[in-house]
Amino acid sequence: MAAAELHTAAGNPAATPDPGAIRVENVDVTFAEGTVVALKDVSVDIPQGAFVTILGPSGCGKSTLMRAIADLVPAARGVIDVQGQNPRDARRNRNFSYVFQDATLLPWRTALENVQLPLEVGDGGDAHADPRDLLELVGLKGREDALPHELSGGMRQRVAIARALVTKPKILLMDEPFGALDEITRDKLNEEVLRIWRETGTTILFVTHSIPEAAFLGEYVLMLAAHPGRVKEFMKVELPPERRLADRDTLEFVRITAHLRQLLEEC
Amino acid sequence: MAEASQIPMPVPAPRMNRMFDAVIARGPALAAVAGLLLLWQGVVWFFEVPEYMAPSPIAVLNAFQENAGTLWLNFWPTFFEAALGFVAGNLVAIALAVWFVHNSTAERAFFPIAVFINTIPIIALAPVLVLIFGNGFAPKIIIAGLICFFPTLVNMVRGLKAVSPATLDLMRVLSASNWEIFWKVRLQSSLPFLFAALKIASTTCVIGAIVAEWIGSNFGLGALIIEATFNFRSPLLYATVFTAAFLAVVMFALVSFAESRFIRWKTSDVH
Repeated sequence: MAAAELHTAAGNPAATPDPGAIRVENVDVTFAEGTVVALKDVSVDIPQGAFVTILGPSGCGKSTLMRAIADLVPAARGVIDVQGQNPRDARRNRNFSYVFQDATLLPWRTALENVQLPLEVGDGGDAHADPRDLLELVGLKGREDALPHELSGGMRQRVAIARALVTKPKILLMDEPFGALDEITRDKLNEEVLRIWRETGTTILFVTHSIPEAAFLGEYVLMLAAHPGRVKEFMKVELPPERRLADRDTLEFVRITAHLRQLLEEC
Repeated sequence: MAEASQIPMPVPAPRMNRMFDAVIARGPALAAVAGLLLLWQGVVWFFEVPEYMAPSPIAVLNAFQENAGTLWLNFWPTFFEAALGFVAGNLVAIALAVWFVHNSTAERAFFPIAVFINTIPIIALAPVLVLIFGNGFAPKIIIAGLICFFPTLVNMVRGLKAVSPATLDLMRVLSASNWEIFWKVRLQSSLPFLFAALKIASTTCVIGAIVAEWIGSNFGLGALIIEATFNFRSPLLYATVFTAAFLAVVMFALVSFAESRFIRWKTSDVH
């Protein structure tokens, strides 16, 4: 991964044959008929297969950026390009999946049936993974027939991740997926997300408000500043790709989180 | 876990044990009913209450025996009216709720009318319907249906709208059509609300049918109540009232059974 040239890169038309996973160019997102500016002139290139964590103070538009990429809110200005398509077509072609803070499982469906949901609606998606294999991948083998209320919060979020992977998306958008979980569960799932990322080669965008989580997971960290939401910095995390929870106690890691914290204070 | 496995479990004698447990669990309720019946019998004996004013439990039991045929004959029309009214009233309410949820103009136009119809006392509406539809089954079914209609409409609208914004976001990311959202999400998530309303309706539809039979009918439990009252046949009146209550309990039990079959889940994503 040659990441040296990957900086904030406003208006950088990627002239390479591999255009990257997501290209965001001079995007504004406004609410309430333009009176509230959530994102202002945001540009960023996400390379194919990268793990990018999005960090920033509350109200900086982290989720809004994800929602704009996912075609859940429209961009008032600028261009968003997802796997060479506009967000709407990318959504219809199942180029990305979205994991929400709430697991948003349908409570009347078993774990397995929840994972199968994406295959039953929309166009169903041609390429799909075996739901049972995915439940095994997220560590829920044997719990296929459990209803959501029989699962813990962490297990429900695992089901949500399996559901997101069932369409074999090229991009996984994760919007504070572990924000509501306790720290122990969260640490465990962090390691598993890294493992899943390595095993599937999916591009992952991961919104978080936790500095250690952003540094531990991210190959890159996209730092946003607030009022209005804009790009503060897009930086590579100088840590080896194979990471373990214990790595968070190293001096290197602490140096990175200290740097991120300092950046965050400037926002 | 380790502790539990060391405790020797008593060898179960399943059938007898379960029946015994059931009796024990219902013990207080059974004792209270028995106590009240005894008290009633005692009061009637002690004060020598004339039978036409308030019959003793034993007299009512006798009336059940003597009038079993009459009660049975009049049970079925009322059951039929209540059940048909229940089905019709709830179906219309569900259909309207579905329409309202997909068309807010329709909701704004017709919801006030639904409220207005609900405010008309059913006992005032009954004569009007009898004048229009005559003495047959039709006005009874309509009144039984009307009395079910409103609670179901209100609950069903709430239920169909009780889908979290996050779930709707999910369905949008999945490019689900409105029909798919309705079929896969809204309908299912409305079921607890619907059954709450159906439980209310299961007993009120019996009331509706009986009230309709009071106004103009020569069959059904309602008609029997009127006849027994006017002829001072108090034991028969009481027996009829108990039969009507039994009918309502049966309807309620049927709905509760259906609920337990349809809803085996609990909401879990509440933070």
